This record gives sequence, C-alpha cells and structure tokens, in this order.
Amino acid sequence: MRKRLVMHDTKLSDIVLADPTTVTVLNRFGITLGVGDMTVKRMADDRGLDAEFFATILNTYIHEDYFPERILATFDAATIVNYLSQTNGYYEQFQLPNIERHFQLLIGKSDPQNSNLGLMLKFFHEVKQELLARIDDDRHRWFPAILAREQGTQPADDSIEDKINDLLSMFVIHLKGDYDHNLALAVLMAVVSLKKDITQNNRIRNRILRLLSQTLHS
Amino acid sequence: MSSRTHIAILMHDTLAAQGLKSIVENQFAATVHVVETEEQLMAQPADWADFIVTDAAHFVSQLPYFLPRQARTIVVAAHQAAPAPAGVTVINPHDDLDSLLTQLGRCLRTDAAAQATATPALSQRETEVLRLIASGKINKEIAGELHISLNTVLTHRKNITSKLDIKSVSGLTFYAMMNGLV
Repeated sequence: MRKRLVMHDTKLSDIVLADPTTVTVLNRFGITLGVGDMTVKRMADDRGLDAEFFATILNTYIHEDYFPERILATFDAATIVNYLSQTNGYYEQFQLPNIERHFQLLIGKSDPQNSNLGLMLKFFHEVKQELLARIDDDRHRWFPAILAREQGTQPADDSIEDKINDLLSMFVIHLKGDYDHNLALAVLMAVVSLKKDITQNNRIRNRILRLLSQTLHS
Repeated sequence: MSSRTHIAILMHDTLAAQGLKSIVENQFAATVHVVETEEQLMAQPADWADFIVTDAAHFVSQLPYFLPRQARTIVVAAHQAAPAPAGVTVINPHDDLDSLLTQLGRCLRTDAAAQATATPALSQRETEVLRLIASGKINKEIAGELHISLNTVLTHRKNITSKLDIKSVSGLTFYAMMNGLV
C-alpha cells in the first residue's frame, strides 16, 4: 500500500497497513492495535490529543523528506517535550532491550568462533550507553529547563545517529563468518527501526526544540 | 548510505523540482536533495552531490560554478532553449516519461558502473591510518607517525569512511578489531 500524507480524515488502519512501523509511534500516544475504523481526528478527540500535532508527527515519521518546520514551530514546547519524553521512554523500555535480546539470541545461535558478532554487540552497547546518557540529560536537565523557561541549551549532536548507521553498515557490508541468518535479520530490522526513529527524533530536537528553547529564554 | 547516488536539484519551479525528486527516488537508488537557492547549493562541499540537476536559468546565471562540473550536471530545458555547451546533458521536460527515465538512467548508470568497478578494499596506507585511528591517535599524531601532511591524513580518513561506510571513530575502531588490525 502506498504511503500517503496523513490527514485528519485518514483512517489509522490505512496508516498502519501502509507502514506497520507506525505502530511504534501510535503506542507513544497510548494507541494499540485494534484501531477499528477510527480516523486521526476521531482518535485524537477521544484521547484529548491535538489532532494537528498527531498528524504532523505521523507524517514526519512516515515521510523522511517531510519536515514542516513552520507548522512544528507553532506547537507549544510542552507538547513537543511530552512527545519526545514518550519517545525516550520507548527507546528505554522497548527498542533498546529488543535489539539487545535479539543480539544475544543471535550470538547464542551462531558459530562461537565468530568473534565479529561479539564485537558488534559491544559497539551496540556503546551506542546504547550514549543514548541512555542523552535520555538521562533530557529527563533531568534539558526538558525541565525548557518547561521552566530557563537557560538550558543543548548542542546539536548527531553522533548517535552516525553510530547507528555504522552499526547497520557493519551488518550489511562487513558481516563475516557463520551466523543464524534469521536472527541476524531480526537484529538488522530492529536496528533499522531504531535508526528511523532516532532520525525523526533528532530532526525535532535539533531543528525545533533547540530553537524553541532559545526563544523561550531570550 | 554513502554508496547511494546523491543528486541535488536546483530549479525555480518548485513543482517541477519536487516531481523530479519523486520520479528519481521512485525509480533509481538515489538520494535527492532539493535546494532552494544557488547560495545553498554553492555552500555545500564540492563532492556533496554526484549529479546536479538544474534549469537553464540557473545554469546560465552560474556558469562559472556549473562549467567545471559539466560532466555531472543535467540541465532541464526545452529544445528551443539555447544549445548547452558540449558535455552537458540536457533533458527535455516535454518528453514522455519513458524517454525521460531512459535519459536519466543512462546518466546515473554511467556513474554507478564507475563506482562498482572501484575496489572497496583499503590501500596499505589507508590500513595504516585506520590502525592508528583505532589506537586512539589524533590526526596530528598520525601525520607525524607516518611522515605525511595533515591534509593527506584527512584525505585518507575520507577515503576510509567512504569505502567502509563507517563514520564514527568508535565504529572504525570496532571495524579494525573485527578485522584483526589492532
């Protein structure tokens, strides 16, 4: 099914069928599978969400080249901070443990002589620690400062995104030796999903929230 | 990933630029960047895009920029427009879609074929530089140790990153470990 721009009258089922990874975004708004024939507007109204924000977030997630800076800049900082907090929670509770679990299974089911996988897991642990440190800083310093309209800048940083790309290259280009192909694919898909999410998250952080936080205390 | 072809589009007609972007991304393994102004295009590093697609007006107004890049410039212009310099590919927006795709494919295939024949293996010097990166040396130290200039180190690093598609220092370090270089 072709990915189209999400509008207020778009059915959630059509969005998920066109791109099943959007379930991860819906989860952050408290929406789970079994969406019936609910539209974006109706679901937003039912859950007290801003329908325009909900649709915009879905669009920026689905369409890599769609980033309506002017529209996003019109939402208040608390709405954006709340969404990014939910996103951080999703990384901590689901995406990072999911990758790690599949990685451990992959190593357990692959040739014990294949040290490459162990090294790639170590590299993943480094990425994970960096991401968790950023989440901790968001939670305890940057986000509270924005909500309190205090000075609390955050430099633009794409190193996590770069490292996730590097991990993908290691899998796709440089993986050697004997390994369980199904589990390698499972790890790869989980990392691809995290990469897509981090890319969207970084665009919102670097191009919207940083500017908003500077404006709030200027 | 850096192995994809990168195409920059600079056109006055936003609808045409976005339409072209959509066609190219749907049909070819390419990443397309639409830039809005000549200044934006020129602010990018020299090797940022493998191809630049532009219209006749931009091409003519920035000849000093486009001429040195004519082998990788594609001008979108109707045939009645002034003839382009030899070596510049011109596509006619009034052609049918199949014909446009064939012309674009011919340009892009030429570049992809050239890339495919290049070996992804690191040269001996690049391997030495990678080993030193992985052992924690900074560029200045690498230059001193190998008796080469800082610029040469930067060139080697760029080539390593491009060949391996690994950008971060820790990614390169783990790659070196995976391949027994450290």
